[in-house]
Amino acid sequence: MTVLRTLRLLVLGETWTLPLGVATLLLAGVALRALDTELWREAGGGVLLAGVVVVLVGTVAAGTRGR
Amino acid sequence: MTFVLTVAAAAIAVAVELIEAMAIVLAVGASRRWRDAVWGAVAGVAACAVLAAALGPLLVGLPREALKLAIGTLLLLYGLEWLRKGTLRLAGRKRRASSVHEFEETVEEFDDVPLPPEGEADWAARVVAFKGVLLEGVEVVVIVAALAARPTGALPALLGAGVAGVVVLAAGVRLRAPLGRVPETELKYGVGVLLTTFGIFFAGEGLRVDWPGGDLALFAIGLALVFATQLQIHGLRRSPVPA
Repeated sequence: MTVLRTLRLLVLGETWTLPLGVATLLLAGVALRALDTELWREAGGGVLLAGVVVVLVGTVAAGTRGR
Repeated sequence: MTFVLTVAAAAIAVAVELIEAMAIVLAVGASRRWRDAVWGAVAGVAACAVLAAALGPLLVGLPREALKLAIGTLLLLYGLEWLRKGTLRLAGRKRRASSVHEFEETVEEFDDVPLPPEGEADWAARVVAFKGVLLEGVEVVVIVAALAARPTGALPALLGAGVAGVVVLAAGVRLRAPLGRVPETELKYGVGVLLTTFGIFFAGEGLRVDWPGGDLALFAIGLALVFATQLQIHGLRRSPVPA
């Protein structure tokens, strides 16, 4: 169990919210691209950047509450 | 410009990780025996080399868009974790990163472990040195492999990693005193920004996004991340710390 925990910490980090947020964001990107390829090609970068900022700010905020 | 940013990202990330690994090896050597510390460190490096030999071809063997998405995802996972911790540290909500703490904690680990007689293997020391090098080394391998697997070539990532390796190893000869002067918190925050920037960029390319301005979009992404995190850091500094 210690080895598995160490591996998880190495790959996914200390929280679950961050990897889950990244996975959700990328899956949402795949879905949005399937809905409208052209719009995604032009606006997808902004959507990804905004999504990452939301995930990061949310995870940091959760970290301050967890103390 | 992407070349310079990739060199910088690889160099700083590798330097920070190597400093942490070296702090552990120095602590083992100083508090136990240097022979066992070096034995554990060399074994850790060998394990990392095996991982690198496996991971490199695995990444390069992927189709172009899947490769970019895989690189982007790996860099996002690492970059965001560094950025999350960096933001909390700079906001005063988490202890600042310091290899001096690693050094002292490692020395304390041996408080209750008797030193075996001269000539016998000190497995406790070997395991601690091995584990320290392996854990920090795995991060180095994944970050450099991800940056090196970019379709534009491995040179900038390998160059950055090589320069960092030489500088840190050269400094390691008399590292204990300068260790405390390395602004690790700020460096890790900077690496977090760089890795996350590359992560967003490559994940976007993997998902067939057209970045306005091409590679110049990297600057806009990096600036947006700095702006958002600095805003949060200032906000957290002004708000009371929960009891």
